[in-house]
Amino acid sequence: MAGSGEDEEAEVRVLGLGNVLMGDDAAGPWVVEHLRAGYEIGAGASLTDVGTPGLDLVPHIGGARVVVLVDTVKSTGSAGELRLFRKDEILKHPPGPRTSPHDPGVKETLLYLDMAGSGPGEVLLVGIVPGRVEKGLGLTSAVAAAIPAAAEAVVDELRRVGIAVEKREAAVPARPWWAGEDEAAT
Amino acid sequence: MSQRIVVDPVTRIEGHLRVDVEVDGGRVKNAWSSGQMFRGIEEILKGRDPRDAWLFTQRFCGVCTTVHAIASVRTVENALNLDVPMNAQYIRNLIVGAHAMHDHIVHFYHLSALDWVDVVSALKADPAKTSALAESLSPWPHNGTAVLRSVQDRLKGFVEAGQLGIFANGYWGHPAMKLPPEVNLLAVSHYLQALEYQRKVNKVVALLGSKTPNIQNLAVGGVANAINLDNEATLNMTKLYFVKEALDEIQQFVEQVYFPDVCAVGALYADWLPYGAGVKNYLAVPDFPLDEKGTQFDLPGGTIMNGDLGTVKEIKSFRDEYFKANVTESIARAWYDGDWEKHPFDEDTVPKYGKWEDDGKYSWVKAPRFQGRPMQVGPLAQVLVGLALKHEPTVRWGTKALETIGAVAKTKVGPEILHSTLGRHAARMIRTCMIAEITQKHWKLLVENIGKGDTEIFRKPEFPSGEQRGYGFHEAPRGTLSHWIVIKDGKIANYQAVVPSTWNAGPRDAKGQVGPYEASLIGNPVADAGRPLEVLRTIHSFDPCLACAIHTLDVEGNEIGRVRLA
Repeated sequence: MAGSGEDEEAEVRVLGLGNVLMGDDAAGPWVVEHLRAGYEIGAGASLTDVGTPGLDLVPHIGGARVVVLVDTVKSTGSAGELRLFRKDEILKHPPGPRTSPHDPGVKETLLYLDMAGSGPGEVLLVGIVPGRVEKGLGLTSAVAAAIPAAAEAVVDELRRVGIAVEKREAAVPARPWWAGEDEAAT
Repeated sequence: MSQRIVVDPVTRIEGHLRVDVEVDGGRVKNAWSSGQMFRGIEEILKGRDPRDAWLFTQRFCGVCTTVHAIASVRTVENALNLDVPMNAQYIRNLIVGAHAMHDHIVHFYHLSALDWVDVVSALKADPAKTSALAESLSPWPHNGTAVLRSVQDRLKGFVEAGQLGIFANGYWGHPAMKLPPEVNLLAVSHYLQALEYQRKVNKVVALLGSKTPNIQNLAVGGVANAINLDNEATLNMTKLYFVKEALDEIQQFVEQVYFPDVCAVGALYADWLPYGAGVKNYLAVPDFPLDEKGTQFDLPGGTIMNGDLGTVKEIKSFRDEYFKANVTESIARAWYDGDWEKHPFDEDTVPKYGKWEDDGKYSWVKAPRFQGRPMQVGPLAQVLVGLALKHEPTVRWGTKALETIGAVAKTKVGPEILHSTLGRHAARMIRTCMIAEITQKHWKLLVENIGKGDTEIFRKPEFPSGEQRGYGFHEAPRGTLSHWIVIKDGKIANYQAVVPSTWNAGPRDAKGQVGPYEASLIGNPVADAGRPLEVLRTIHSFDPCLACAIHTLDVEGNEIGRVRLA
């Protein structure tokens, strides 16, 4: 199956997390759109904008060999900086108790799947430090400028785990449905 | 001397549910429920094409995506007086039914069961005895001794390695935990099996909705699922049989695992049945429409006041005037400018943040009211309305559940026990059993309709100039969801979503009437103020869903404990 589609059975899965209505929280979905528009991704990998599914991440992660998550991360540092984390770093601090199904659910999902025996072998989190996270469409300029580098980090990981990736020669810039009139990430 | 407990899980999310309770003599004396984040996402919709609204509304919330999409297309169709083809109704019904079963199963097993189930105690269970107990309750084929022993071994491995992982934050050994080790082991085993069902349901939604978690097949006026039985790329019998097979498997899990588990928890915690009733005014809307206009439904809706089933008043159609006329929202105790109570068509959303005041404003959540009254929404409301209207499937499943609870508890119980924390779990399970049947029925109706040669899926909406107003509702997993729209010259002039968790989690109003969460906590026991398990039990029983809009993963930071004593 071609890599640009959404295939829940693919062995390598790239998942963009975040709420596209909340400013820089859209960074994960933006990276997915940027990859679709700018790269040809070979068989065995899938790209999905999963939004903010909380525990509903389970079917998107379960059974995969490798998962690459793209998400905003709470961190020191300035907007647009990238932070990469592997599975053991993601799970270093245990998740807090849940009151609602909406917590990000990344840690919980990984722990659930480990317990159930279908957790992914490898996980990379490509984290982007957000600038403005509040109601509204559109990325801040610092985060918009970081999208290509975050996409490159995903591409490096895909190549490392054996997925062929080619940059499209005449790529049309991504312009997802939620993007504002004057917004087209590079 | 009373003590204040603040349950404020602001760890990774800016804005969340915060609950304050005042405890005196081991009981909750007063309670405040507060949403800690301004949303107002509806503002994004103003000026847009109403046909696109559902794409945006389904991003309000990452978990309840389909429910906001469905409510939105129904809302615009209502404003235009547009009926949708039967194939579209059936396909929508299958998607929302699959989503609801999924949501209810996840809620019970993964979001609330551990309030009642002591995972660590499961290590002491005898797998053979557990299996014998399970097989006395259910014909489910995966309750054998070998399965249970393997679950216990895996759990033991995690505990011995000091990696309880997902279970690390439970209140293990809490005095309010009362299940015997065997029941705890059985529950842990089903907890893991339930994860698999998430994947099965997800496939149904993905196949019919073209994508998950955000579906792509909707349109104002119908759906975008082309139907052609001879075409590989469209909805055809191969795909429909795939859906059927998944529905069969889910139904078996619901009836043979979810049903007996909830009955067992209810019976073994019979001492908890008097707690958590709260507001006994109930509101549900009808759903699973059986005709183009939405006048016949498979699940009923209506209102009940003061816990008296005799007061039931039915909500009958997608154009129901009783519902339309009586919904308002109050901002008297919420951080918005003013103190009005208005109908959704007339509302605005002007935030004005102040500090927390017990006797003043203390929440970002508006307080929805029906005829000026706070209402409890959710599966319990729908089940009680069904019982009051003598809706056959509700009466049948309700009776079966009460008989099973009574048999395990060795005492006779009636529908009055449903007004409680545990009653909300029982009602959610009863509703899931009904939806498992309804989705089967609508699958058959869809196939028969296509078999008759009807392949219509869409009617084109026309937007006249001038103003139209419309509303649409959906009985979502957490209860009554309504969207309200004002269209001017083909563009959105106003849009409001009155969501289930605002009905339940909303604050007091101008008259000081407490909301359902608040009312349900008053009187609850609290054995250990530092570990207020009982408060969480009652809040979780509503299936809270507030931090809909945002998340930022906190990998580096330390997790902050959720409970403070103030």
